[in-house]
Amino acid sequence: MSILTSILGLPLLAAVGLAFVPRDYRFVMRLVALGATAASALLAVLLFLKFPGAGVNADGYRFVQQIPWVESLGISYYVGVDGINLGLVLMGAIVAFAAACCSWNINMREKEFYVLLLVMSGGILGAFASLDLFFFYFFHELALIPTFIMIGVWGHGERKNLATFQITLYLSIGALIALVGLILLYVQSGANTFSIPALTRHIQENPMAPGSQNLIFPMLLFGFGILVSLWPFHSWAPLGYGSAPTATAMLHAGVLKKFGLYGLIRVALPLMPEAAHGWMQFLAWLCLGNILWCGFTAMRQRDLNLLIGNSSVAHMGFIFLGIASLNLIGVTGAVLVMIAHGFLAALTFGLSGYIRQQTGTLEMSELGGLLRKLPFVGAALVMAAMAGCGLPGFANFAGEVSVFFGAWQNEALRVVMVFAVWGALVIGAVYMLRAVRAVLHGPVADKWNDVSDATNAWRKLPFALLLASLLAFGFFPRLLSEKIKPDAEKIVMMVNAARPLTPALSAAEADSEEAHAAARSRDTATEGN
Amino acid sequence: MHLQTLPWIILFLPLLAAVVITLFTQRDRKTSATLSISAIVIGFVLTVIFIKANSFNPEVKEVSLNWLDIGPLQAEFGLRLDALSLMMLLVVTGVGSAIHIYSWGYMHEDRCFSRFFASLSLFTFSMLGIVMANNFLQMFISWELVGVSSYLLIGFWYEKASAADAAKKAFITNRLGDFGFMLGILIVWAALGSLNFGKLEAGLADNPAALGSLATLGGLLVFCGAMGKSAQFPLHVWLPDAMEGPTPVSALIHAATMVAAGVYMLSRTFFIYTPEALQVIAWIGGCTALLAALVAVQQNDIKRILAYSTLSQLGYMVMAVGLAAPEAGMFHLTTHAFFKALLFLGAGSVIHAMHHEQDIWRMGGLCKKMPVTYWTFMVGTMALAGVWPLSGFFSKDAILAAAWHHSMPLFIIGVGVAALTTFYMFRLVFVAFLGGERSHEVGHAHESPWVMTWPLRILAVFSIVGGVIGVEALFGGMLHPGGEHPHGLAAQLVYPFKHAPVAALSGLAAFGIGLFAAWTLYARAKEDPLPARIGTLSRWMRDRFYFDELYEATVIKVHDATAAVVDWFDRWLIGFAAVRGSAGATSLFGNVLRFIQSGSLQAYAFLLVLGVAVILFFVLGR
Repeated sequence: MSILTSILGLPLLAAVGLAFVPRDYRFVMRLVALGATAASALLAVLLFLKFPGAGVNADGYRFVQQIPWVESLGISYYVGVDGINLGLVLMGAIVAFAAACCSWNINMREKEFYVLLLVMSGGILGAFASLDLFFFYFFHELALIPTFIMIGVWGHGERKNLATFQITLYLSIGALIALVGLILLYVQSGANTFSIPALTRHIQENPMAPGSQNLIFPMLLFGFGILVSLWPFHSWAPLGYGSAPTATAMLHAGVLKKFGLYGLIRVALPLMPEAAHGWMQFLAWLCLGNILWCGFTAMRQRDLNLLIGNSSVAHMGFIFLGIASLNLIGVTGAVLVMIAHGFLAALTFGLSGYIRQQTGTLEMSELGGLLRKLPFVGAALVMAAMAGCGLPGFANFAGEVSVFFGAWQNEALRVVMVFAVWGALVIGAVYMLRAVRAVLHGPVADKWNDVSDATNAWRKLPFALLLASLLAFGFFPRLLSEKIKPDAEKIVMMVNAARPLTPALSAAEADSEEAHAAARSRDTATEGN
Repeated sequence: MHLQTLPWIILFLPLLAAVVITLFTQRDRKTSATLSISAIVIGFVLTVIFIKANSFNPEVKEVSLNWLDIGPLQAEFGLRLDALSLMMLLVVTGVGSAIHIYSWGYMHEDRCFSRFFASLSLFTFSMLGIVMANNFLQMFISWELVGVSSYLLIGFWYEKASAADAAKKAFITNRLGDFGFMLGILIVWAALGSLNFGKLEAGLADNPAALGSLATLGGLLVFCGAMGKSAQFPLHVWLPDAMEGPTPVSALIHAATMVAAGVYMLSRTFFIYTPEALQVIAWIGGCTALLAALVAVQQNDIKRILAYSTLSQLGYMVMAVGLAAPEAGMFHLTTHAFFKALLFLGAGSVIHAMHHEQDIWRMGGLCKKMPVTYWTFMVGTMALAGVWPLSGFFSKDAILAAAWHHSMPLFIIGVGVAALTTFYMFRLVFVAFLGGERSHEVGHAHESPWVMTWPLRILAVFSIVGGVIGVEALFGGMLHPGGEHPHGLAAQLVYPFKHAPVAALSGLAAFGIGLFAAWTLYARAKEDPLPARIGTLSRWMRDRFYFDELYEATVIKVHDATAAVVDWFDRWLIGFAAVRGSAGATSLFGNVLRFIQSGSLQAYAFLLVLGVAVILFFVLGR
């Protein structure tokens, strides 16, 4: 079993194993869940450390394992990592462990909860590790369905039903659209393979007709976009996270949501470069919807979880913006933000879950002054809020600032950029500090006398781990960027190189043609320096 | 001594102290304070050693590591050590040391003593980062870190609503400025392809038109960052509120760090400003100086008066930069650091003795109770008012001389502000320190312990001599271009009168007028006579020209209203129209919902199989 298969297989194996554990052995169940996720996280760290020295296959992937499955269709179990998904696998495994740690307060149907949690973790890691479109999608579904069930059964709040309804509806539709897109892609490419590297190679030599590109690309863009809460398909996210059990929110907002973005970078951009060029300007304006609209909405929230949920949606905008810039800095920055936001979203939802467990409410008008009672959790929440509004020292800053530089380099995006910077620096600070002010600062009410801080090392561990990851990559972003860069460059090259070979796609796009050409020539000029 | 090691130690010692305190010594108050204080004192000593070894112009000016490089984005983490940064390093570590030591005494009874010193050290680290930064991005990083440390320190007593609000306001107002700063950085980077100050300067020297049509705009956007940090009109509203933090913090923010950062940044990036941009900068500085001085005249809180005087002096410094005399701005920044730290620590000593009473009309007669505080405060006041030969006279004269040469209206504003400065400072001294006791707290007041008075004494000495001693070494040829270097102490003392006699004499005349007015109005006043004499103007001055209200009515209202509208749409349009739009979909998916809600594993398994079936159907149905 290769190291990558172990990372994603351990949680799945543990899920199967748990099925045989009697319902009353609660300690054993926790131990199995923690043990499996911890082992998977440790292996992921090992993978990350061994990555630079590992052997590279012809397509540039490392730690690959390929087992043919349905040969007539070209489906195989194929896993491997390059710079783009290496950090995502690491982040996913660490967050999965943290989520398992944060599940100590589940006391109803524990067995099912842990089984689902482990399935979700394994599915997520599988989706990011897969280099085969079939498994890429299958693993995502495997992780997605437990999400709905966990919110429905272990969720909380008055609007739990609406939340479950919305998230199921939106994400199923999103996944379905993406699925149709992927299948069309498989059919149209004519390569008779689900292997992503093989498809990429095939399409580089035989580019798809602009017509089919323009049909399939929007399907992937919006299908994946819905999964990532692209504006205006975002309304499931804040509500869903607000009602979800802590561990589910951590895993979904932190990791699973990045699937759509990863799909865009890995599949949509390199396979349909012409269509990507055509749609990116549009995507850039939509991402302002995320950054500004959801930022403003976050300012108005009265519930801490809804505020965090909206801010999480807003942060997706920066990743979209990085992708839309279609240059090396922007795409690398987008991957950096994906990883950083994974740690951050898990951290904030973990902390808010802790506070809700202690106080029974996240209504901000009820809370206040909790920093005095919760020095550790409170301090961690202040740090998370600061990371959320882009404070240097946390990984988010390194990513966001790269996205800014990347998007600025693309002259067509400069107007968008001005608003995006406003959203990042001003609106982000306004709602984050408002949350800190309402929840942690001010006089503490007598009713919170019994609130107790995370004193136990096990309670502190997930938060400390996530904060440490954020700080480590914030201080030394090159740990990630050096690995992302070569592979991001390949993708950017594919997107930009394919363009001049084909004639203009349509009359409507001829206008933006010149702008892109200008941007590209300037790109190469600056790169030459 | 090598450039490669010492400055790195100076920079990272405070960070190390902050981390160690946070992680390990929270409970041990003494160790925490010792760590924090020794970090900055050692930093000061090392700075002095470094300058002794290398003089103000080391052979190797820059050393840098690679922080982030992606294609054309080359972000270093580097140190730049030249006369400008070394001088600023001396000021920050020197004045900072005095404030750290004083804090031990002032904060001794606070239960979060360790947290205070951890934040203080973080603040120092961030400020040193700005001082030594060799590129725009690193400066922005430290810039943001200064913002967050000030947030932590202003909101140190976060249980007090006013402190928590002030901290939030400071951070967000600064962020407004940083918005411009970031865009400015992007413009400069896109045009010149580098972030490094040295390379940018060389690039602009080669091709002055490299920034193209965006030159003025880019410069002004970068200046926005300075407006936020250095609290220039109209982003000045956070600074007076920032005194909600403990007094040593106010001293640190107002004197050696934070507000100084803006002026320092302008001097560092002076090469990117076009003449038009400089004109705007000069006028914003001048207006800030005048408005803040007017407001200071009618404040009654001892720290608020000092806060507005800081604003006003910062206006001077920014004006100096705008008048193409950044060296004069830096000179004033240095002397101001001494006497403003002295004044704030003196005010802290008074507040400490008065059991946190800050209203000057409830003080009076303190000169007999607290002689050391009184005399040192008096020195600070005279230095600020620009009495010859105290430090403030020389630096203010340098600015007035620059204004005299470049712009007559700004010169008149400068002299007027000088008179107002003397007036409000002596109003403070007459009311708080002289005369009879105005409240019974004064009876119980007594002199502060030595750990607080010695920093006062030391700062007083520097406030007196800071304008002449060492100035030549610090600023070298920067301050007196054109070859007329004054040599020797006597020559320096009379230099201003020879160089620009009108400016020097106007400065002294302004002092005389201000002192006379303060004496006649306040020497024996029982209550403030000014409101009765100037009426409405006094009310406007007392209410700070209604800037806070203006912000409330514009920026905040606009944001709130937008947020309300957006939120409403988000709730009702997108949330409902999209999801519940059609009744058919609702009932259909209602069933799905009920189905999923059952939460049984069978349902889950079924969905999974369904998903796989859909895939196979598409694949095989091809």
